[in-house]
Amino acid sequence: MATPGICDSANLNGGQKLAVKYFTVAITLFGAQVLFGLLAGLQYLMPDFLYGVLDFSVNRMVHINALVVWMLYGFLGSVYWLLEEESQHEVVGLKLGNLIFWVLTSAVTVVVLVYLLVQVGPGKESTIWLINEGREYIEAPRWADIGIVVSVLVVFYNVAATFSKGRYTGIAGVLVLDMLALFGIYLAGMFYTTNISIDQYWWWWVIHLWVEATWEVMVACIMAYGLMKVLGVRRKIVETWLYIEVALMFGSGILGLGHHYFWIGTPEYWFSIGGFFSALEPIPLVAMVVHAVFDAGARHAKNSNHPTMAWLIAHAFGNFFGAGVWGFMHTLPQINLYTHGTQWSASHGHLAFFGAYATIIIAMFYLAVQKWRGDVWMSGELPGNGWKWKWSLGLLNLGMVGMTVSMLVSGYVQSQIERAIEGSSWIGYFAAQAHPWFTQGMWWRELFGVMFAVGFVLLVWDLVTIGRGEKRTLVPATSET
Amino acid sequence: MATNQWWASESFWRKTAIWVTGGSFVVLMLLTMDTLSQISTGTTRVPAYSVINHRIEYKFDEQRRVQVPVIGVKEPLFGKELSEEEAEALVKLGKLTTQAKNCMNCHTLLGNGAYYAPDLTKSWLDQYWGTSEIREVQMVEFIKDPSDKLHNSMGRRMPKLGITDEEARGVVAFLKWMSSIDTNGFPYNFKSIEQEN
Amino acid sequence: MIEPAGLADFFTIFFSSAMVILLGALYALLFAYARIRSMPVLMPLAYLAYAGLSISTLFLAQAANLLSHPLWATVVACMLLGYLLAPHGIWHLCVGTHAAGTEKDAVTEVIPESMTKEA
Ligand code: HEM
Ligand code: HEM
Ligand SMILES: [Fe+2]
Repeated sequence: MATPGICDSANLNGGQKLAVKYFTVAITLFGAQVLFGLLAGLQYLMPDFLYGVLDFSVNRMVHINALVVWMLYGFLGSVYWLLEEESQHEVVGLKLGNLIFWVLTSAVTVVVLVYLLVQVGPGKESTIWLINEGREYIEAPRWADIGIVVSVLVVFYNVAATFSKGRYTGIAGVLVLDMLALFGIYLAGMFYTTNISIDQYWWWWVIHLWVEATWEVMVACIMAYGLMKVLGVRRKIVETWLYIEVALMFGSGILGLGHHYFWIGTPEYWFSIGGFFSALEPIPLVAMVVHAVFDAGARHAKNSNHPTMAWLIAHAFGNFFGAGVWGFMHTLPQINLYTHGTQWSASHGHLAFFGAYATIIIAMFYLAVQKWRGDVWMSGELPGNGWKWKWSLGLLNLGMVGMTVSMLVSGYVQSQIERAIEGSSWIGYFAAQAHPWFTQGMWWRELFGVMFAVGFVLLVWDLVTIGRGEKRTLVPATSET
Repeated sequence: MATNQWWASESFWRKTAIWVTGGSFVVLMLLTMDTLSQISTGTTRVPAYSVINHRIEYKFDEQRRVQVPVIGVKEPLFGKELSEEEAEALVKLGKLTTQAKNCMNCHTLLGNGAYYAPDLTKSWLDQYWGTSEIREVQMVEFIKDPSDKLHNSMGRRMPKLGITDEEARGVVAFLKWMSSIDTNGFPYNFKSIEQEN
Repeated sequence: MIEPAGLADFFTIFFSSAMVILLGALYALLFAYARIRSMPVLMPLAYLAYAGLSISTLFLAQAANLLSHPLWATVVACMLLGYLLAPHGIWHLCVGTHAAGTEKDAVTEVIPESMTKEA
């Protein structure tokens, strides 16, 4: 056994070595996301900043694409992280897995470089194939889409085959089917059509059925593993709850898709379907919060990794507020008519993505670092009282809440002035954008964005230093059967 | 002590999860088939591309209590009546251009996209273009080079994206066609450009 | 199918819909907590949260013109009933799943007998 306190790959199993690579790219892209978010936010305040060089559209595209890709990397990394422990078998195609990691990462690099250097192309299909597809979140050009699909199929093969050879647990079953659905849905966004209503119909399949269905179940699997690991909850309980969550999430989330089909040309029956199922969507989130409190209470919150535990709690609350509360506030068609496509949507999008997904991936980063350094101590009494992780936790969460509330204020003004009074005309749009409340909201968003960025820097610093030179090792909390 | 209630058992919830997911998905597929048939090109909700040969209006419908697009008299785009194929080709060029130039990462279309610039759903009908006589020319010129055409107090300008004359005409055709889609009253309370003559 | 909200009702809608979800969670938490810690005094508070939830739902229904249409009125009724019952269901599931094991482990030790007899 290696000395504790140093990052030594001997501490990791094969899948985990690969996971660490995915995590490293994930956090790098997270940094890029924050940087380009700040640039785009600044352009709201100083429109001439980088005008004609890196226009708002370019910065925003990099911002949200980095977001999607770093989260997918976080998920793939997490899956590889738990794969060998869960299946009790070596990853069957580790070499292939490594190769695919490099292929995927090179593709991502090329895509980003093309976004930044080429930016736009002529109005031909070749642009969609080579430069960018021009559809929010899934801008990646078609060649990259195909590369992504092939790569994730290899990951899928690795996961499914490893579980089949080893132990096929309940978590494994859910995870494998969910990955299949998650990757399969991506295909719905991979074709061109001139009919923009049909275009948007399928586009929402990708976006909504990702974040409100398959991604939720993906993190539920990660959470199940995390609870066993950190709190030592029994497998049977964890797996039963996983099934409960799947039933509730898919039961409300799949048809909840209707809340995006109010205004894109689709028939009126989507009003009631979207409204009804959206009203159900918060229930699984409430269930999760109550269950988390129940579990933590039952164990007096004794746990083996404080930063991970703190971020898992942030996940439960963030998911509840970002998706549950912020989502429900604008989901009924009677009000969505006015908030649709305003800073309201952006406010909800930020809190939900951060609260539901960034948090739990960060929790996994800490779990990974702990093991990498040789299962070092990460509970109380860390050097400096663990100020770095505590401050970054505080700054990131406060920064995000601040940004969200700022955008909410702007969105409120926008929905009233632009949407309700002026009827979404160009004059109405600019009247709202120039309103003092709106512009102040945009200033505060940027300031809280800076706070968020400071929190990010601290997070990275903490991740590379926490547990360094730590001699105490972990007393395992797991009583796994 | 209560043990092994069937409704709290693993196997019950595994089955429930499978059935609920499967059931929801089947319902979604049925709804999708119905919706796609209602929004394919050439339906009342999403008119054929040759609609660009006509005037498009956006009028309050007493029965539905919202504004809906109304296809009016012949009013060919750029003064030239197009066949269905020609119209489709032009709108397609326009749609491809909006994707290639990444319009959606500043604007919203049908309310989806980014929030840095105005919604384009009914931009064809916007009063910003002055009168309906000069609108087409104005739009083409604007799209080709908006960088010197500031129209707000914040100094936000659309960049010059290298759009050719042909592409700009395509984009205008696409926008005109999009304004004829029945969006259930979105945007609400919209005030159209004057189109009577 | 829908009657768009009036401008004056925007704030009511945002506020009351946020309150519906927040009070729903508060109700569920108080309900669970009252039982975990065997503190029956909390139970009235839990139902107070639900009462607040119902009032918020009605405000929301009023502001978003939900009651004038039978279909939307049904959604309101479902919300009132669903949010009343969900915390009970969640609680029973928490207890039921944690008791489902046969061996006595850490959990069964810290959960007092009083909270499981309901299940
Ligand atoms: C973790 C889960 C969720 C995430 C990550 C998420 C994220 C997002 C994002 C990014 C958008 C903006 C999309 C765009 O660019 O146009 C959006 C829109 C929306 N979300 Fe969510 N969301 C989540 C859950 C929910 C839930 C649970 C609800 C309802 C209760 C909801 C309701 C909505 C609605 C109605 C819109 C449309 C906004 C508009 O009309 O512009 N979301 N969501
Ligand atoms: C320094 C912090 C950040 C800043 C300054 C920032 C800024 C921005 C800006 C200016 C936009 C464009 C909004 C528009 O079209 O008007 C945007 C979009 C978006 N950002 Fe951020 N962002 C930050 C961090 C994040 C984080 C941490 C997440 C998620 C984890 C995130 C998720 C999103 C999403 C989902 C959108 C698209 C929203 C929509 O279309 O509704 N951002 N951000
Ligand atoms: Fe959604």
